[in-house]
Amino acid sequence: MGIKSSVSLYSLQYQYLRGQMTLDDILKYVMVDLGADGIEILPDQMLHGTPAPSDETYAQWDALMEKYHPGLACDDIFLNTNLFKNRELTKRECVELIKKEIIMANRLGFKDIRLVSMVPAWILEPVLDTAAKYDVCLSIEIHGGLGFGVPKTEEYLAEMMRLDSPYIGIVPDTSCFCRRPPRVVDEYSMKVFGTNPDLVKYVNDVFASGRDTFHIKLANGGRDPEMEKYIKDPAKDMFYASNCDGYENCPLSVMDPYADKIRHFHFKCYEMTDEGVEYSMDYAEVIRYLHDHNYNGYVSTEYEGNRWVLPDHPIPELEQVAAHQKYVQKLIRDIEK
Amino acid sequence: MFDNNVFIEGSCRNVEEDGRIIGYEMETYITYYRGIPLSMINYIAVEADGEKVPAEDIRFTPDRIDWFTIKEMETVSEIKWEYGAKGVVRVLKEGGLSEGEHQVKLTVCTRTAYIPVPLEGNMTRTVVID
Repeated sequence: MGIKSSVSLYSLQYQYLRGQMTLDDILKYVMVDLGADGIEILPDQMLHGTPAPSDETYAQWDALMEKYHPGLACDDIFLNTNLFKNRELTKRECVELIKKEIIMANRLGFKDIRLVSMVPAWILEPVLDTAAKYDVCLSIEIHGGLGFGVPKTEEYLAEMMRLDSPYIGIVPDTSCFCRRPPRVVDEYSMKVFGTNPDLVKYVNDVFASGRDTFHIKLANGGRDPEMEKYIKDPAKDMFYASNCDGYENCPLSVMDPYADKIRHFHFKCYEMTDEGVEYSMDYAEVIRYLHDHNYNGYVSTEYEGNRWVLPDHPIPELEQVAAHQKYVQKLIRDIEK
Repeated sequence: MFDNNVFIEGSCRNVEEDGRIIGYEMETYITYYRGIPLSMINYIAVEADGEKVPAEDIRFTPDRIDWFTIKEMETVSEIKWEYGAKGVVRVLKEGGLSEGEHQVKLTVCTRTAYIPVPLEGNMTRTVVID
């Protein structure tokens, strides 16, 4: 079957939040207008009462599935370990929550769950029987700034290899593979916060040299002395200085030991340029890697430029998602023919 | 990051009950990209014309059905504030906001699943009471 295209409905969150599009409108847009193969959803975002929705909510979902027949790429779930202000949830409480999510995923029709980054590795073994019973695979998201080399992610990877189950995998996010930091973030920070342009230039230069600030800090106890020289006014510069650590410039080969564990892939989109490519990431390179490793799952557009639109400016979610899908669908067609 | 979700424009008004004005309220979206139980609202704060409203005078409802104080919400794990739902923040104040223009600041802060620091959203709006 080969690589398939999907859209994470997260990409259209402001359309939904502000009541400009219903879930039905969004599904029509993604499946009919953009011609994607499937969808990814955060049930906590666009379905009510999760992880135990009402019969009515399930009936509405079933009707939408019947109407648009989307491929169900991935169900993105969260673990609210900090549900209460005065304590962390116990292990038993966490296990029960994940089991509920597995049952809901199965009822919605998904075979893959994305666990948000930093979900503890000890959750896996106690829920494995439930995952097998409901035929749902659990995969941790490996995101820029929380990626390979971060202790909690490494613990998960080690536990995944130890358990070696078809019900445990990974969902890498292309924020790990930025060749340039997102330009929309640079512009937003300079205009909204007044960030020092020399700091922005420094970070861009680091990426141009094949490195990233995240790894410089990881190797230096959390500090980058060179970067600190450009932080002139913490109120204007600190947001940018820490936010840039959410983008990594790793070679794709960091995935090699786990290539057969990739269950799904987040194709981030910060900014589609007028040339029809994404500004920060080289998707031809990523698609080639997946094809060469016999990947035949979905790759999901995850538009996140919406966070970096200047206040009171329209959010170009529809246009950006459409441009990204056009780009990715063509790359898939070209390589799979 | 979620400032634009806070304090829906044009939503602030005085609240009348049994023929008297008991306070004022405003609507807001959640400062997160998904729905969460009310116990994960870290705090809600209001400032009117530079004056901080005491926390005990604030009430919140995610659905205009159940209303809670900030303190009460700490244990509400079964009722969610859904993404896209207009939550209502009400300030109990005899007489509400006086006629004329006011600067009202709303802060909504939530705890998220994986970001260690709670996410705060702020919005100040000019409110005109006729």
